[in-house]
Amino acid sequence: MRKLFKGNISLIAGLSMISFTFFLLILSYIWTPFDPLEVNPDDSFAGVSATHILGADNFGRDILSQIIVGSRVTLLVAALSVTIAMSLGVSMGLAIAVAKRAYQSPMIYAVNIALAFPAALLAIILAAVYGASTLTAVSAIGIATAAAVAQVTRRTAAGILSSDFVLAAHASGASTWWIVRKHVMPNLRASLLIQASAAVSISVLAESSLSYLGLGTPPPAPSWGRMLAGSQQYLFVNPLLAIWPGIVIVIVVLGFNLLGDGVREAFDPTLRRSET
Amino acid sequence: MSLLEVNDLSISFGHKKVVDAVSFTLNKGERIGLIGESGSGKSMTSLAIMGLLPDTATVSGSITFEGKELIGLSDKEHSKLRGDRIGMVFQEPLTALNPLMRIGKQIAGPLMIHRGATLKEGLVKALELCVKVGLPDPERIVRAYPHQLSGGQRQRIGLAIALACEPALLIADEPTTALDVTVQREVLNLINSLVDQEGSALVFVTHDLPVVSIMTENIAVMQLGKIVENASVASLFQNPRHEYSKRLISAARVAEDAFSQGGGK
Repeated sequence: MRKLFKGNISLIAGLSMISFTFFLLILSYIWTPFDPLEVNPDDSFAGVSATHILGADNFGRDILSQIIVGSRVTLLVAALSVTIAMSLGVSMGLAIAVAKRAYQSPMIYAVNIALAFPAALLAIILAAVYGASTLTAVSAIGIATAAAVAQVTRRTAAGILSSDFVLAAHASGASTWWIVRKHVMPNLRASLLIQASAAVSISVLAESSLSYLGLGTPPPAPSWGRMLAGSQQYLFVNPLLAIWPGIVIVIVVLGFNLLGDGVREAFDPTLRRSET
Repeated sequence: MSLLEVNDLSISFGHKKVVDAVSFTLNKGERIGLIGESGSGKSMTSLAIMGLLPDTATVSGSITFEGKELIGLSDKEHSKLRGDRIGMVFQEPLTALNPLMRIGKQIAGPLMIHRGATLKEGLVKALELCVKVGLPDPERIVRAYPHQLSGGQRQRIGLAIALACEPALLIADEPTTALDVTVQREVLNLINSLVDQEGSALVFVTHDLPVVSIMTENIAVMQLGKIVENASVASLFQNPRHEYSKRLISAARVAEDAFSQGGGK
């Protein structure tokens, strides 16, 4: 275990940043300095102080409390939309890669059309039909990311399927299912990890943008994206309001990117430093 | 009944014919060398026997193996023979192994597919097979990844995988071309002795006449998709009938002369 972490700075840094976010998540159920929704006109635009450690917003709501509770939405959206994106995208990509040549091109066209469809537009449609909620945001982000995941998966899998060791596996009598499980999936793992970590970052950012546009989690539930949106009007009065949610978004996005790099490095035997 | 009977086999891609009316037979335990330059159709012939031609190929003629017609056989039926009754060794020992799978698991593969072995049983058998193909320290080898082994070691692993299920026929497609000259001889000797030991028949594909002459008793010379001469090693060397066979032999002699002259100085 120690060997896994040794010299793997990306993995250590990524894990620390993600742990910090999960710490906020757990903390949100145990303790917050204030009720994050408690409006307190006296403390409007309160600066950094002992009472409000990170200050307060225009309604006098405690920023730290909002940030702690906002981690719930962010992590929920990240987890759900990445699950949708990866399961949908990887199964579609693999299905296309192993399909007969004649069926491949229509399937590839379908994915390309899905890719060309803007995620925000999908979110607007879903929000118009079902009303804006965390769920519509999650679905829109998940489906839009799935198309990208499917495309990368198909390309990578096609490369693996045309390699010599897959031919050799065929020569050993392996079935397509065996080859997908034993040869394609392990060789796809590094690329999938990178895609998953990128998908987390994308979905955190997308959730922030959708909330910012009013297409995500409806108020008053705190969300980092909506905190950013709210701070916009007061950018010159109190820039700190934009900085705090910005910092935590950067921490999550950067953390998952670094984790992806670190895990890939840890799992690739040709990159491993010492092992015989 | 002969083990393998290739009759009038033709393979084409679109209008391009890469194998043209090839016929040969192979009895149990017999060996044949397919020799020819690249593009002569020797690899395509061996892939046709394995049923591993690309989808775009059109095949005609007949290949019977153990009395079973292989042309037009469903892929599922064909895959029951591959790795079990017919084993294959590839040219590039590095790329023919999965870079992310430990060696033991790769050797265990055919046993798990055809013999219903569990991974644990397969790994035990993998150790035995490593010893059989002359690899020292098999416990270390089965836990290693392909990039941690040398070219010769990898080709021995390729041989262990091909022979795991004791096939009746072994197809070796230029198995030593990618190896150092010193290692080539060792691997050839190993194939020789293992094929003898198992009583398998051998189809040995190469472009190298000296190599094939120490491996097989019969040689089929291929050029532009056709077998232009099919003879025993002795009669081919003494009395080559086809122009291309003569050129192959003189090329081999030139190399030999150059070698002995260089040695004399």
